[in-house]
Amino acid sequence: MKNASKMIPCYSADTAGVCSAMYELGGMTVTHDASGCNSTYSTHDEPRWYDIRSDIFISALTEMDAIMGTDEKLISDTVKAAEDLHPKFITLCGSPMPMMTGTDFDAIAEEVERRSGIRTFAMHTNGTHSYIDGASEAMLAVVTEFVNECPKADGIGVNILGMTPLDFKWRGTSDLMKKWLGESGLEYISCLAMGSTLDEIKNAASAKVNLVVSYAGMASAEYMKDKFGIPYVCGVPFGIRAAESLADTIKKAAESGSSVLLAERSTDTCDTVIIGESINAVFLSSALYQELGISSSVICPLPTETRLLNSCDAEYLAEEDIEKALKELSPKTVIADPLYKSVIPKGTRLIGLPQFAFSGRCFEKHMPDLIYTDIKEYFK
Amino acid sequence: MIKLAIYGKGGIGKSTISSNISAELTRRGMKVMQIGCDPKADSTSLLCGKRIPTVLDLTREKGSRLTLDDAVYESPSGVVCVEAGGPVPGVGCAGRGIINALETLKKLGAYDVYKPDVVIYDVLGDVVCGGFSMPMRKGYADKVFVVTSGEKMSKYAAANICMAVENFRDRGYASLGGIILNRRGVRDEDEQAKELADDFHTSIIGTLDRSEEIQLADEQQKTVSEAFPECKAAKQLSLIADGVLASFK
Repeated sequence: MKNASKMIPCYSADTAGVCSAMYELGGMTVTHDASGCNSTYSTHDEPRWYDIRSDIFISALTEMDAIMGTDEKLISDTVKAAEDLHPKFITLCGSPMPMMTGTDFDAIAEEVERRSGIRTFAMHTNGTHSYIDGASEAMLAVVTEFVNECPKADGIGVNILGMTPLDFKWRGTSDLMKKWLGESGLEYISCLAMGSTLDEIKNAASAKVNLVVSYAGMASAEYMKDKFGIPYVCGVPFGIRAAESLADTIKKAAESGSSVLLAERSTDTCDTVIIGESINAVFLSSALYQELGISSSVICPLPTETRLLNSCDAEYLAEEDIEKALKELSPKTVIADPLYKSVIPKGTRLIGLPQFAFSGRCFEKHMPDLIYTDIKEYFK
Repeated sequence: MIKLAIYGKGGIGKSTISSNISAELTRRGMKVMQIGCDPKADSTSLLCGKRIPTVLDLTREKGSRLTLDDAVYESPSGVVCVEAGGPVPGVGCAGRGIINALETLKKLGAYDVYKPDVVIYDVLGDVVCGGFSMPMRKGYADKVFVVTSGEKMSKYAAANICMAVENFRDRGYASLGGIILNRRGVRDEDEQAKELADDFHTSIIGTLDRSEEIQLADEQQKTVSEAFPECKAAKQLSLIADGVLASFK
């Protein structure tokens, strides 16, 4: 049973990625799924649910709807809700059941848009892929639809791409990012999609550089590079010195117009392994090296690209592959979500770095602030 | 690029007609890709002289390492052949299989790599579920041709297919290209086929008489024009190919 997780949970699914990316943008998100499933996407996977209102719905798909292919119910319910709520846009997501019955979301979205007069996006989610895929598709849809050419900001304007609470601590991160940009002489334009309004995002083409903080933002960064000529820099401003170094990289990219993907990392033998989303993990590895002289490698269990990783890093999706790799590497320390504990060799130190997409609310209170903050104490 | 789907009741001759159209258009200098959308995976065996591995079997075997070279075969006559495949009878979901196979081909860039002038989707039986409407969806076939005889069940299936095409009209799916009459010697067969065509505001774009040469060519695993180029059936199949092309003008 390859890819069956026996001890560790699986990451949030693509649908949760869409809901998370669209959460604060004033749209209406409808997942075509059985009644009750909204709690998965909007409460278990969503720390903002009790604090920020968002119009996220489940179509309450029944067995008979699936058998009879009654797309009309989804279309008319969505249009009716949109007439009441006046969302800025509508997003339709799939789940496993409509995947099996071959629901044509592109055609349904066209129909909803025709009847409601509201821009409607069809997301090609089916609940079997990672949240990265869903968030990536949703962010790209927003950028493609709403970002148009506009005058450049006076300073070095920066968009943050790929930020959702599934990868980043919700409370505090936006403020720390803005503080870091401001103190580094950079100008915050927008954040896709945590802490920004749709109007701020519409202004995204005024930026000189895009900062891609997770792989979910990569497709949008590539699109904006092609469409508006905005270069992108991959990175997360962990620590103080590494954050300053990342700010310098952004300034150089603004000047040269060239994108920068890789971080300053050690090539020494690594006795520390970081498990997590690729850009987060790679730039935490870089920060550990710059701030503490720690050499670390990365195990990425989520969609990414080889060009973002070093030769010492690895992409493993299956639990048994991660477990085997950790046995072979035999690191002194593993930095990962606390729920990875069960696949880490005995005697190995685990520094817990909770991730909402992996352990949900379990360790929410223990999520540290690492952005533009001294990280020495946490990782010493 | 011309993209068409051929539907019709099981056993009505869709694969034979599809393969003969493919071979005929290839003979005229066009690059044709024929995609069998049937779990039986025998649409292209007439063209290739053997069964070829299916996209779904290869996906199961190779996963993300699957390439177009694994799944695409060129027949001796030059037709680019693909079989979607599907589960064995009685288990799984054949409709979902068609969706998965067609999405895989698209993801692998099959249409960009082979740049066919004509794509023919040879689709199993009736439009029994969402999966079997996949070839008529936006981005796949532009026109649907329905093969029927004058037999009651064949006409019934044909009417269902035509109705599905009509139902999906607002979705920008394929339109009805026409009826292909595969005569089985039923009384008033031409009139019955015409009545069906009239009901759905379409026309009969070609006819094929029952002939021994078709069966003999099938047994030899050859197209009719290869095995018996001068026979009446070969000429009728050539006219059907003309009718298909004409409907796109």
